[in-house]
Amino acid sequence: MFSGWNWVAHGLFLLLSICSFQVSGGLVQSCGRIIPESPVLALGSNFTALCILNESCLDFGNIYANQIIWKIKNRVVPKEQYREINRTVSSVTFNDTSSLATPLTCNILADGQIEQNIYGISVTVGLPPEKPKNLSCIVHQMSKLTYPMTCTWNPGRPTFLDTHFRLKYRWPQENFPDCIPKDANNSCTVTDVQFFVNLEVWVEAANALGKAESDPLVLDPIEIVKPLSPHNLSVNSGILPTVLKLSWENRISAAVMKLKFNIRYRVVGDTDWMQVPPEDIASPRTSFSVQGLRPYTEYIFSIRCMKEDGVGYWSDWSEEKTGVTTEDKPSKGPPVWRIIDTSRSPASWTVYLMWKALEPFEANGVILQYEVTVKAKSSLSSPPEKYNVNATNLTLKLPNGTYEVTVIARNKVGASPPSVLLIPAVNSKAPVKNVRTLPKDGKLWVGWTAPNSYVLKYVIEWCLVSNSSDCIIEWQTEPGNIQGTYLKGDIKPFKCYLITVYPLYADGQGSGQSVKAYLQQDRPSKGPTVQTKKVGKAEAVLTWNHLTVDEQNGFIRSYTIFYKTVDGNETAVTVDPSKTEYTLSSLTSDTLYTVRMMAYTDEGGRSGPDFTFTTQKFGKGEIEAIVVPVCLAFLLIVLLGVLFCFNKRDLIKKHIWPIVPDPSKSNIAQWSPQVPAKHIFSSKDQMYPEGSFTDVSVVEIEADDKKSFSEQDLKPFDLLKKEKSTSEGHSSGIGGSSCMSSPRQSVSDSDEGETTQNTSSTVQYSTVVLNGYRDQTPVQVFSRSESTQPLLDSEERSEDHAGGGDSTAQKQQYFRQNGGQDETNTDRPCFERAKQISPTNDGDLIGFAQLQISSQSSQLLSLGLEKSTQEAALSDVLQMSTEGQTETPETAEGNPLLVDEMPKSYLPQTVRQGGYMPQ
Amino acid sequence: MAAADSPSAALRRHDLCTRGIRLAGKMRADVVDLLDTYVERQGLDASISVTVVEGVPAAAVEHWDEQTGTQRLLENLAAYRAFRALLAQMLEEQQEQLGEADAALGPALAAVLLQVSAFAYHLEELLRLESRGPPSEEGAAPPALSHLGLFERKLWGLGVLRELAQWAVRSARDLRQLTKPSLGSSSAPGPAESP
Repeated sequence: MFSGWNWVAHGLFLLLSICSFQVSGGLVQSCGRIIPESPVLALGSNFTALCILNESCLDFGNIYANQIIWKIKNRVVPKEQYREINRTVSSVTFNDTSSLATPLTCNILADGQIEQNIYGISVTVGLPPEKPKNLSCIVHQMSKLTYPMTCTWNPGRPTFLDTHFRLKYRWPQENFPDCIPKDANNSCTVTDVQFFVNLEVWVEAANALGKAESDPLVLDPIEIVKPLSPHNLSVNSGILPTVLKLSWENRISAAVMKLKFNIRYRVVGDTDWMQVPPEDIASPRTSFSVQGLRPYTEYIFSIRCMKEDGVGYWSDWSEEKTGVTTEDKPSKGPPVWRIIDTSRSPASWTVYLMWKALEPFEANGVILQYEVTVKAKSSLSSPPEKYNVNATNLTLKLPNGTYEVTVIARNKVGASPPSVLLIPAVNSKAPVKNVRTLPKDGKLWVGWTAPNSYVLKYVIEWCLVSNSSDCIIEWQTEPGNIQGTYLKGDIKPFKCYLITVYPLYADGQGSGQSVKAYLQQDRPSKGPTVQTKKVGKAEAVLTWNHLTVDEQNGFIRSYTIFYKTVDGNETAVTVDPSKTEYTLSSLTSDTLYTVRMMAYTDEGGRSGPDFTFTTQKFGKGEIEAIVVPVCLAFLLIVLLGVLFCFNKRDLIKKHIWPIVPDPSKSNIAQWSPQVPAKHIFSSKDQMYPEGSFTDVSVVEIEADDKKSFSEQDLKPFDLLKKEKSTSEGHSSGIGGSSCMSSPRQSVSDSDEGETTQNTSSTVQYSTVVLNGYRDQTPVQVFSRSESTQPLLDSEERSEDHAGGGDSTAQKQQYFRQNGGQDETNTDRPCFERAKQISPTNDGDLIGFAQLQISSQSSQLLSLGLEKSTQEAALSDVLQMSTEGQTETPETAEGNPLLVDEMPKSYLPQTVRQGGYMPQ
Repeated sequence: MAAADSPSAALRRHDLCTRGIRLAGKMRADVVDLLDTYVERQGLDASISVTVVEGVPAAAVEHWDEQTGTQRLLENLAAYRAFRALLAQMLEEQQEQLGEADAALGPALAAVLLQVSAFAYHLEELLRLESRGPPSEEGAAPPALSHLGLFERKLWGLGVLRELAQWAVRSARDLRQLTKPSLGSSSAPGPAESP
């Protein structure tokens, strides 16, 4: 611990000693220095530096050379590169100066711990200049007397040092001041040079590491002159329409330099230059006449010059000047063609003559007018008709025939050669064959196979086929020796053109052959709109309209129909482009389909809108196939039913429409109430106002009449009799009748069959008529019927059942046919009972209807019972029926029987203890 | 003359003569332009006549066509050496009179001076080819102009330039004469070129 503090104290002492020494020795005095001071070193060379310690420092701080540490920036140089020369000098050696950097410092490590900088130097590393290469010079003429010379050279590799270049030049007998480049190291301009004396030029490059000179260039500056271009160029029309005369001024003295020239020219609007043959202007001059020009054409001229012997440089092109040649007469007649309209009258033509304005190089001036001559070939005697036209068309009305049309264009110089067009009566000559087109280089080429005959020329007609505009015919003529040409017009892409080729012969004309073509095709602009024409169960007939020409954008090569169900895959069908209808088959019935249609050209297709349809659930005739047999079967069944009913009509009639004996036809025998009934019915008259009862029939079946019934008819009665025989109840039979007719025991009251047979051999009917029936005078008579018509089962059954319901109960008789108040108790006067019912008079009519229904139900029930062979079952049913009658709504309990509650009496009810409940 | 017999020497001589002729032509053109500038700048009348100019060799000579090639070269060399000194003096005078501000006359004078010097070099080279070598300059000092007034100095300058223009014409003719095989010491033919 103590030694550590001692070491620190020693170090601080050393530091203070160095500082105090420096201060005491002055600001500029240090403990050492480095040799060399701020060296400039060649890159890649080796370098040795020495750090020399002052002797005085040794005394103060025990500083020696072996304590020196060399650093480059803050990086310590490996000690392998150190060498202690003596106790005050240490050297460091670098084999490659590229590893050097600034600063290189000499540091001391006092007592091996504290590092102190002694001295530092900046090291500059670079390269000596290379020999400048590729020295070249050019003299730019700036004015008539000013010829600065600019020399350029390749300065060589970067030296990383401040390198100075100098352009030196001299005459053999005279030196000139050096040219020092400004802002560049590879070029310099000598302000003025003298010609015709050889000048020696070279470049000297120098920096801290050396100096280098280029190879000298010996030249006469006159040989490297780039003269100023001729100026004040003027163009004048010559006498001839094909000549223009150029004049200019040279800006370099002929004493200095003899010149040769280049003259270029072009037509205004063209981009390609033409040149006057150089040999024609290879001598000094200030004017030249350019020949072989087109008449009435505006040309642009430009000129340049250089030393006559070709040594040196061409000047820049002069400013451009324009000139126009004079007019000449048109070189050819205008191409002429016609459209013949025969629609008005076959015998009279409307001929639209049209000709093309001559191209400028053909017109050779301003066309003032056209002279049209029409000569009928058929009538040689008639003179030709002449027309002077300013336009390029003429409409004539001519009779059908052959004509020769001549058109001449005229300008102020003269007339063109005539253009002749033969208009034959018919195009009877051979047409061209195999007309075809080919888009090429943005133009539409039309080719054809020539006919065998000699063709004078061809006329190619074309027009743009469009829905929105008429077919405006354009045309061009071609010589007869070619079999193909480009259409000369604004042919637009994606448009349909109808092209027709006519061969013109010397003595006639061939019919035109047409072809449709596109310069460039594209996808259709829209797809066809498809819809269904007819939809069936498994097929659908689709229809669509062809795309219009404007929408096609090309030749429609095919249609493709895509259809799919909601969750199914899409199916594609390709259809011939000529069709507008297609039938999709194998579809699923009752399914929603989505269908769309694409039209394809060579460039692709485009889809139309989606269309949905649903296939039908049943196919054509399926419904008929189902309905008709069903109907037939139904009819058959009905027929069979009818036949069956017909066969069984008696049975049915018996059950449905039983023969009700007409009491009026019955014979009343031995039964006529002796006692006038007035007093009996007096109370009844009071009880039942007129209209309450329409008819009341009381039927009493005599046991004697039983034999007259059929066995089947009587069968239920047998059952009933058995039922009755087992019951203790004594029914009055037809209660009403017994009540009103005879107090004696009716047959139904008898429990013994023999007695029954004896006493019930006949059926007694009684009728109580209160109101007239069918306008008959109501007769309040009691008559006994002798009819043998059996009673309705229901009536009888109800009667029987009522009788058999409870032997102890009062016997009741129901008159179901004629009223709801027909409940009759044999033990109670009927009128008494009727009196109880009287308050319900308001509902009589309803109750009557219900009773009718109940009666029918009872009858049907009886039919059903007929089919039953089990007596017990029948008994149960009958009992239920009886009990149903006794079942009364609780609201009616204890009350007299309500008319409208009567049907409920047929509903089954719980038989109370004690059996029958009086209603 | 031995050196002139070699083909290279003949070519060299021809080249020197040709370029000398063109240099003389350009020098004349430049001197003519300089004369215009000089007259304008010095405020002189272009039609003023200057009869005799001191120190200026006369271009006109009798029996010109009888001179030898060497004689022609020597006379030309002496004249142009004299013009070189005169023009240098003129340039100095001009700078004293007009200062550096005159950007037209000074450079033109300097350019003509350079051409005179170059032509003298041409003549010296030709004389070397003649195996005679150019005579040493005898240090003919330019005439002292201090005794002349300003106008006279201007006239003197005008006379120098006019005489130089004359000499330019004569020199071209002399060199053209030298290129002729019959008269020249060299057998190398050369195209006749006018300055």
